[in-house]
Amino acid sequence: MKAEVVVIGSGISGLTAAALLAKKGKRVVILEQNRRPGGALKRFTRRGIPFDIGFHYSGGMGKGEILRALWKYIGVWPRLAVLPFPEEGNENLRIMDSGKVVRAFFSYDRLEDELQRVFPGEKQGIYAYLNKIREISNTIPFFNLDLPLTPYLHDLFSPKGMSLAQLLMSLIRDTDLHAVLSTPVFLYGVPPREVNLTIHASVAHPLYSGVYAIDGGGQAIVDAFLATLAEAGVDILTGQKVESVLIRGNQVAGVKTSEKEIYASHVIYTGHPTSLLDLVPGEIFRKAFCNRMRNLINTDSMFIVFGAIDDPDTLGDLTWINYYNIRTGLDIMDLDLRHPEKSIMINAPGRRDSDSTGASGGVLLIRMSVWDEVARFDQGVREKRSAAYRKWKAESADKMIEQAGRLWGDAYSRIEPLAIGTPLTFRDKLGLPMGATYGVRHSMNQFSPGVRTRLPGLWLSGQGTLMAGIMGASLAGMVTVGEIEGLEPLWYEVRQCR
Amino acid sequence: MISDEQVYQQVTQIMAEEFELEPESLQPDATLYEDLGLDSLDAVDMVVALEKAFGMKMTDEEAVRSVRTLADLFDLVCRLKNRQVTKE
Repeated sequence: MKAEVVVIGSGISGLTAAALLAKKGKRVVILEQNRRPGGALKRFTRRGIPFDIGFHYSGGMGKGEILRALWKYIGVWPRLAVLPFPEEGNENLRIMDSGKVVRAFFSYDRLEDELQRVFPGEKQGIYAYLNKIREISNTIPFFNLDLPLTPYLHDLFSPKGMSLAQLLMSLIRDTDLHAVLSTPVFLYGVPPREVNLTIHASVAHPLYSGVYAIDGGGQAIVDAFLATLAEAGVDILTGQKVESVLIRGNQVAGVKTSEKEIYASHVIYTGHPTSLLDLVPGEIFRKAFCNRMRNLINTDSMFIVFGAIDDPDTLGDLTWINYYNIRTGLDIMDLDLRHPEKSIMINAPGRRDSDSTGASGGVLLIRMSVWDEVARFDQGVREKRSAAYRKWKAESADKMIEQAGRLWGDAYSRIEPLAIGTPLTFRDKLGLPMGATYGVRHSMNQFSPGVRTRLPGLWLSGQGTLMAGIMGASLAGMVTVGEIEGLEPLWYEVRQCR
Repeated sequence: MISDEQVYQQVTQIMAEEFELEPESLQPDATLYEDLGLDSLDAVDMVVALEKAFGMKMTDEEAVRSVRTLADLFDLVCRLKNRQVTKE
């Protein structure tokens, strides 16, 4: 089989890259090792209730904003029904230490009003923080589309500058407010003491500018891409595990899967950069590169209860409000397993669907998790899990449900778990090493991987190479195609679509 | 504290092992890019390897970028090591 470009992985970065290349007239083949394409954007159903895995909401879809422009350019935008969060939508943040509740609205102005109401002594700090985020976002081309991409990307990977924690400590004294302004870290997985302001602003700014759901959830995004790709003649081969990258001379020649060889002069790898090393013969990369990729620090994982409730109306305003119970201070991501009260979050993306009825009582109960919690149950990817693992999983879920009931009302204690995701699940279903939800940690303590590799024709993409999350991964797909086809001309065309 | 001579030896050893270079080619006046054949992609890997070996941060991008020869690299690493000792 022949193509010009093979894209390995059909998550949002692979789908984006493939659609852009097809638009440029390239013959593209996507390889996906799972049965269904879509990566973390996929939905699954239990008892007829749809559950989103990785897509809960996103910024960047307003008029003139980046995802809207990029997806318009690709041609998927008209296939999507975008649902802006209503004004009253917010992240309802409860600080467990003080019991204080803050509604973090998805708007700079409303957020500022709320924060000044709850923290009247910190008016100046609040203003200065929000202003700083706005100021930084204005230097990032994804949020100021008139800027060129190249200088920004060139600078992005050097871990330098001030951390989010340093900024917050310099402006604000109240530790509850530190926690509140740190909560966007849950959307990219880097602790406040390790993240620089550019990475933080890349998530916080779109969050403060307005967020959106998609009718039909992440699956609707996958389906829109698949329809566009089918029209463009892109082949998607599922159930195809890539065994190796083929090399001729000192150049990529294609890939070999369990079933066939596909010849192509470019290969884009969207999986975790560490697992790329398994596909390329040892002598191709230098030891320094292999060691760096092998030692990358990853984000932590999550524990998710996908549950149902008999009487969804009793859940109140859960549709457009995400409830969080968090620790005070800057270490809000720390998972202290001995601590009796855990940071926990609940939301219900499926309830936002236009055809959502009483039957769609699906809720997601989420907490941080780490590999250490499940390491003892790991018997390899294909092994059947042990009874001890199932018992631990069920007990952990029960504890979270009990806690949710205590925190947000009795109705929540009646959640019935229909599926449970642990670090093991995310490793095996999504190919994330140790279940690292957001892949490579974009930390000030390390250099994130770039798009280019030493092997001509072999390119990296995915959230590890640019930014985490759906926006980060989709933009990563664009940047990788830009590196192949010419960055600024592509960027110029994309931004014409705003 | 390690001496400049030890730094010299350790840097040479890291470059030889991590970039699979012939030890004889690692002369102080050898240029990283022309003589040793490294490129801009290798530069980040080199910084990461040296940071790990010496337990320090090479965050001054200008200083890293101005490194042309192995001798420049030894100087930079020694300077950073000494600064670290002063701080401690």
